[in-house]
Amino acid sequence: MKRWLPFVGIGMLAALAGISLWLAGRHATPIAPQPGPVDATPAAIQSAQFVDGDGKPRTLAMFSGKVLVVNFWATWCTPCREEMPGFVKLQSRWQDRGVQFVGLAQDDPAKVAAFSRELGINYPLWLGEAEVMALSRRLGNRLGVLPHTVLLDGQGRVIESRIGVYSESVLDSRLAAITGK
Amino acid sequence: MTRITSILATACLACATAAAAPPPADEPLDPDKAFHPEARLVAGDPVANGNTERHGIDIDYRIAPGYYLYRSRLRFEVSPPTLLIGAPDLPPGIEVNDPFIGKSAIFRERVTIHLPFVVSIAKPGRYKVKIIAQGCAEDRLCYSPFPQEVVVNIPPGYRVNDAPAPSVPRGIPR
Repeated sequence: MKRWLPFVGIGMLAALAGISLWLAGRHATPIAPQPGPVDATPAAIQSAQFVDGDGKPRTLAMFSGKVLVVNFWATWCTPCREEMPGFVKLQSRWQDRGVQFVGLAQDDPAKVAAFSRELGINYPLWLGEAEVMALSRRLGNRLGVLPHTVLLDGQGRVIESRIGVYSESVLDSRLAAITGK
Repeated sequence: MTRITSILATACLACATAAAAPPPADEPLDPDKAFHPEARLVAGDPVANGNTERHGIDIDYRIAPGYYLYRSRLRFEVSPPTLLIGAPDLPPGIEVNDPFIGKSAIFRERVTIHLPFVVSIAKPGRYKVKIIAQGCAEDRLCYSPFPQEVVVNIPPGYRVNDAPAPSVPRGIPR
């Protein structure tokens, strides 16, 4: 009986777990928010105006006090759509622990509604015009790329700004670290 | 026991190294580097199915590896508008089938888009071609519509046969 065999197995599993963690996060590129601009103050972020699927005006201030995951996306952006099922799961998992997801897009309302239905999106998908990408840029998205995800604390302050696909497992860990839950 | 310790230490090291790996060094490129356009005055290029000649502006795009442009999202505008151009002659590109938006065409690597002059002899001068483009880095991220600008000079006394024929292939299917 080779007694060392189980340990080799454990070692390989541990290595695989580590590699999986790395792979899960490899597409996302954290970026630093651009410092300074007045429009990116918490008050400006929370008061920026968007509309919901029914055309009603909305602002992020309605979620004041919660950790916000603000995701800039578009229906034509394949990587954006690939990460959103993970956000749906995380919204369910974290909704009772003070976390709220919001999607922001400059897009065709009909396409957004169809996409929301098809994927069963369980968080608000709001729309805007050029101000959507303008806000994204002010929050550090220098290149104007999608997806762009920003984590805000309960007062609307930027905790993190990240471009690229945000994997479910990495974001889950991040939310746990931020909320301490 | 030493062997077991060694195995566990190796496993832990592999795990920690992988988990703590820094973000990839391949930061996304600036749009102008990912999708680099150049303008070229062109004339005297025989059209494949006739005896007439092409004259206008060729926009040569060099697209970085792993990046692609959406064919249907390209827009062109020339200023000053005294130089009239017709509908852009876009190569068919590579057809892709998106599960949500359906079939679309993309350009990779290199592509030349022809902007035909509406009049056969263009007025000399310096013209700007403003481009609105949209594209993605494969599986990573997409660029929201971004503006680009290229310049083409039409020299005094320019005639349609003065410019060299284009040398760049029109779209490379993959």
